[in-house]
Amino acid sequence: MAKTLEKVDVVIVGAGAAGSVYAAVLAEAGRSVLVLERGVERKLGDLYSSQTWARRLKWGAPHVVEDGPDSIWYNFNAGHGFGGAAIHHYGVWPRYHPEDFELHSRYGKGLDWPYSYETLRPWYDQVQKDVGMAGDAKKEIWRPIGDPYPLPPVLVSNHGKVLARGFEQLGLHTAPIPMAVLTEPYNGRPACIWDGWCDAGCPIGALANPLAVYLPRAQQAGARLQGNAHISRVLTDKKGEKVIGVEYYNREGERIVQPADAVVLCAFTVENSRILLNSANSHHLDGLANSSGLVGRYLMSHPALSVFGMFEEEMQNYLGATGGQLICQDAFPKTGNPNGAFGSRQWEIGLAIKPNDLLGIAMSRPDIYGNALHQFMQEGARFLGSMVGVCEDQPMRDNRISLAKDKDRFGQPLARVTYQVSEEGRKLWQNATKEGVDIFKAAGAKQAWHGPMAGQHIMGGTVMGIDRNKSVTNGEAQTHDLPNLFIGGPSVFPTSSSINSTFTAHAVAMKSAHYMANNWGQLAD
Amino acid sequence: MTINRREFIKRGLGGATLALAFEIGGGSLLLTPQQARAQAVPLQQLTADEAAVLERLAEALLPGAAEAGVTHFIDHQLGEDPGDCLLIAKYFQVRPPYRDFYRQGVAGCEQLAQEQFKQKAAKLNVAQLDQLIKMIGKPGTRTPEGYDLSLFYLCLRSDAVDVVYGTPEGFERLNVPYMAHIMPPEGWNG
Ligand SMILES: Cc1cc2nc3c(=O)[nH]c(=O)nc-3n(C[C@H](O)[C@H](O)[C@H](O)COP(=O)(O)OP(=O)(O)OC[C@H]3O[C@@H](n4cnc5c(N)ncnc54)[C@H](O)[C@@H]3O)c2cc1C
Ligand code: SF4
Repeated sequence: MAKTLEKVDVVIVGAGAAGSVYAAVLAEAGRSVLVLERGVERKLGDLYSSQTWARRLKWGAPHVVEDGPDSIWYNFNAGHGFGGAAIHHYGVWPRYHPEDFELHSRYGKGLDWPYSYETLRPWYDQVQKDVGMAGDAKKEIWRPIGDPYPLPPVLVSNHGKVLARGFEQLGLHTAPIPMAVLTEPYNGRPACIWDGWCDAGCPIGALANPLAVYLPRAQQAGARLQGNAHISRVLTDKKGEKVIGVEYYNREGERIVQPADAVVLCAFTVENSRILLNSANSHHLDGLANSSGLVGRYLMSHPALSVFGMFEEEMQNYLGATGGQLICQDAFPKTGNPNGAFGSRQWEIGLAIKPNDLLGIAMSRPDIYGNALHQFMQEGARFLGSMVGVCEDQPMRDNRISLAKDKDRFGQPLARVTYQVSEEGRKLWQNATKEGVDIFKAAGAKQAWHGPMAGQHIMGGTVMGIDRNKSVTNGEAQTHDLPNLFIGGPSVFPTSSSINSTFTAHAVAMKSAHYMANNWGQLAD
Repeated sequence: MTINRREFIKRGLGGATLALAFEIGGGSLLLTPQQARAQAVPLQQLTADEAAVLERLAEALLPGAAEAGVTHFIDHQLGEDPGDCLLIAKYFQVRPPYRDFYRQGVAGCEQLAQEQFKQKAAKLNVAQLDQLIKMIGKPGTRTPEGYDLSLFYLCLRSDAVDVVYGTPEGFERLNVPYMAHIMPPEGWNG
């Protein structure tokens, strides 16, 4: 028999990027808000500067069985505990471009969003003001129309300067990378000191992770945050017309029911679909919000690559933010690409590098070992340059999250992920490998090479749309089937673009949360 | 902005080391993996044979890894809750318990050593060991049972790099400023 707690206005599932935005907006609007988070109750002061220790920010037992031809790199991309994956995300925050919202109507490819860039623009502007973004709007010649950044751009060390030379040689443009990192003190938070520890989580709050901006705001407005609460199901009323709360398991394994007038799922892409599918009941046999049969479908990831080069100059590659110093979106136009590939690409240039870990010096050449590895480490520490290319993936119906046979310790089926990089994404990635190496050579690299394909960011599974038969939520991220169930995070994106997803996830959540706040009477009815 | 490399180094280093709470004689002691090895702290998860193979391979992958205590580091982490575990295997979607992953990796190497050299992996000569490493380092190399030996190579190599270069001393060896915001309180005794 489950213990039933006192009702709250809103339960938010997941204390990551999207959950933190909903929590702040709704609590500030006077709602009683409870954020239930599966992972630990973390503080900024728990974020140790060490790539080895940063691995504690990752799930220990992934709730995902991946069995498709390609991996979405779930464990690399997902996080747990207060802050979610966003606790150690790099803060690279460009905006989606107008064409990303109208893929189907403009090009006959993929899906359309339920609204245009213009509709989301004020929410991007609001979020960038809240978090204190740094950048140079004029130099970003590709940037969609929007308010200028509130702060001046990020540091460019020799690393960025040397690589920019390569772009210039090939007639390509670079601009300071738009970042949710403070270049000056802002709203009581200190400026970045360019030590490159973002991947371990920025404990001074210079990077706009959830613990630095929206969760404190939410708490200040009275929202409660609770860790070690593993949500297993969203519950509906007897008629199956509205949600009435969630069921979760606490640290002791007790089953608890938390009633609420509205529920917002912000458990990141795979887990959002898993919870909906696991919440099937007699009125919703295929899972909640799944009358379209699309819960779990249109899963996307960005095919990405790292490009490396050994230079003759001291690169100062230990300086700066992990996400990079410069950006290039010259390859953003979706058509006219060399091998007929459809879709956009971008480069993030001059990432701060540490010796160890997945993105460290050693891993840039996994084939080297023995004394040669020591030599490589010495050389790399001074002369290695790096950048990351991100390519667009296409929404494909068969790329999906379903339920696995295996179960978690609470008896709930794990998520099963079946994923294959779209053919278009693969072609874009090939173009990027060639261009990336050419850029490094033009910049003067003695040797230049690229790493394997990796999946960055995970999107889709609960896509938005106008037509309830072709999408899971409407433009307010409100499920078509259940009016008081909302979904936050990149799982609602109908297209992936090649843009890092978190700024857009914030803007979408901000829009949706305001809708909830402004229409509370109807929702709570 | 002017950057003074030496100043950064001075600011970032405090002689801190990777230290973990090792179980000794019913008590718990904060030691670096290197100290744990030097003091022959008993291994909790790995057998002596498994540890010998791991150490031999890791030392060949990155000389100095054995003395830096790579096997004690791995052994210690295999005893942790998967959520707290610091091994890179986590990033590669390896399913806990991670002990099985290392056991199967060692078994796979033993099998290869027998097939190729009729010898135990820990007893291979330098040239044979090198050959074995080249085999397991080739992307996609699997045992007949389907275990991914190239992933084992990647993880063990990374474990070696973690203990040798992932610490403030390791950074110092590379003349890279550490610049910590926060040193891990329990695990680093800076
Ligand atoms: C290393 C790294 C670097 C990145 N860099 C960038 C970048 O530079 N720019 C960018 O745009 N994006 C970046 N990202 C991506 C970014 O982190 C994600 O887009 C973002 O965090 C997604 O937000 P979310 O709210 O959907 O999920 P999260 O922020 O992951 O939050 C989800 C939360 O839900 C919790 N949860 C899951 N299941 C349950 C359950 N059953 N019950 C209760 N709680 C649950 C999780 O524990 C987690 O805390 C990066 C990610 C990583 C890992
Ligand atoms: S580089 Fe800047 S944003 Fe990153 S951890 Fe350091 S201070 Fe924080």
